[in-house]
Formats: sequence, structure tokens, C-alpha cells
Amino acid sequence: MKNMKIIYTIIFVLLAVNQAKAQDKFFTKTGYVSFYSHSLVEDIKADNNQSLSIIDTKTGKIAINILMRSFMFKKALMQEHFNENYIESHKYPKAAFSGIINNYEDLDDEITETEITGTLKIHGKEKEITTRATIYIKENEIKLSGNFNVEVADFDIKIPSIVSKNIAKTIKISFELSHKPYK
Amino acid sequence: MRSKISKFSIGLFLLVSIALIFVIKLYNKPHLDTKKTKADFVFTTQNFISEYLQDEISADKKYAEKVIQVKGEIYNISTLKGNGVVTLKFHDLESSIICYLLPEENNKILKFKKGQFTAIKGICKGYLLDINMVKCVFVE
Repeated sequence: MKNMKIIYTIIFVLLAVNQAKAQDKFFTKTGYVSFYSHSLVEDIKADNNQSLSIIDTKTGKIAINILMRSFMFKKALMQEHFNENYIESHKYPKAAFSGIINNYEDLDDEITETEITGTLKIHGKEKEITTRATIYIKENEIKLSGNFNVEVADFDIKIPSIVSKNIAKTIKISFELSHKPYK
Repeated sequence: MRSKISKFSIGLFLLVSIALIFVIKLYNKPHLDTKKTKADFVFTTQNFISEYLQDEISADKKYAEKVIQVKGEIYNISTLKGNGVVTLKFHDLESSIICYLLPEENNKILKFKKGQFTAIKGICKGYLLDINMVKCVFVE
């Protein structure tokens, strides 16, 4: 919980500092994040369209917060197991990423490949990650998209042996975030 | 003896069939139908937001994944991937309730304007600067 407060503090600081320069902050409350697990038994995909993301254009810092319960699965039973047994949403309701878009100041208003480095926190466990992303900076919009893989074991998520063949050990996470100026 | 074996085989077949039907039904069980489900809790926008602002963890324990009906003033109407999104707010409370509507509610959204009062029912997913509710429907 202490770490969640730190993440909230980062978000509030990103939003609150320099109110006079509000155009420095771009944000979205409807960011898209999905994950995909491929195994010989079945493919599992879940989508989340309510991710919160904030970019500080002065520094290139980015903070993303996600409600784990907002991941929607095709099958209700999978969604139930994901929340209750694997990710334990009652204990860890949010996932968070806090990091920096590398060389943000050098990026221009074209579609550019860039790199994001930061800390991803899922299921109460933190992991440093670096991922490639596509960024498109416009006057009133910053679009960020990409994907990366995470190891289930890195986040201490226990998969019962009976379904271990149904769930991949490596999960692909994709994101599409369209930020607008914070007013 | 032969008759006993045959009875046992039929019994076993029936048992396996019933178990299989149960597993298939469970595996394919449908998502909660918000429209047909009675609300677990009924709130005004002010009361619901206040509960989350006072103690998010405790509110989450009580209301997350529950069907909540909220009545309040429409602050904003928008769309996300073709589906309606209604934001309910109470005066100067810093947070709001964002209701992501089911596709079948899209035609009803045209009847509403900012500043109007409405009642919406949906599944509470928790708090992320605002309260998020999904699979929302207008309550007639």
C-alpha cells in the first residue's frame, strides 16, 4: 500500500506541479492496455480501456496506473480466476508503471521509435523494464504505442499445476495511449 | 452378473456425462448481465464518491465487482471505441464517476445532455482518480 501511495504521489505531483504550465502535462484516462498468453492448449487475451497515463513533456517522465479488475476477458470464468486466484485483485487492485521516455527532448513531431525505461509493478512485485515504443507528438496529442514481454514468475504469480499448460510463462503486454493536454 | 456390469456401465456413463456438462457450463458461464441484475447498492453521486475519497481500500472491499446504481448530474458525455461514456459529478468534488456504457445503450445517450440528472447501473471496478464503472445501463 505504501508503494501505491508513492505512485499516487508521482501522479499528483505530475498533475499539480506548475499548474501555470498545464500544457506541459498530457494525460489520458482511457488508455488501452492488453495482455496475451499463447499456449498449446488455448490463447487468452484481456483488454483494459481505462488505463490512466500521464506524461510530463518537460522531463519525459511517464506514470501509468491500471485497475486490474478492468481487464475484460472473453470468458467470465477466466476473468474470475485471473482476479481471484492469480493476480489477487482484492490484495493488489492496481498495476503501475513509472518511468521515463528516453531522450524525450530530442523527439520531434513525427512518428518516431523511442525507448521507455522504468519500473513495472504488478501483484505487489516490481521489475525494471526497458521497451521500444512508437511515439507520435502533435500539438494537442501524444500517442504512445508498443508491446513488450513479461515473465509471469517475475511477479510472483502462482499458476496451479492443473492449468499450467493453459497459461504461457511469458505474457505479451501491448499498449496504445493517446494523451491530451491536461487542463 | 452381466446385468450388474451393464447397470454399472450406464451409471458411470451418466455420471461422466453429468460431470462433463457441468464443466462445459461452468467454462462457458456468461458474464454478469447488468440489465437483469438487481443493484447491490444504490447511491447518489455525492455519497458514492465521498465513500471512496474517505477510505479507498475499505470502499473497494465493499463495492468492487458489485452492481452499483448511481443517481447524479451528467458532467460529460463522450464515446470510447464507439460506445457511450457518461461522467457523473457532484459540484466541486475532485473525483467523478465514469460510466462506460454497454453498446445497446448507445441510442439512449442521445436523449441526455450535460447538466441533466440520470440514474445509471453498472459494475464498479475501483478508483483511479475517478470511480470506474463498466457494462453500464441507464435505469428507466
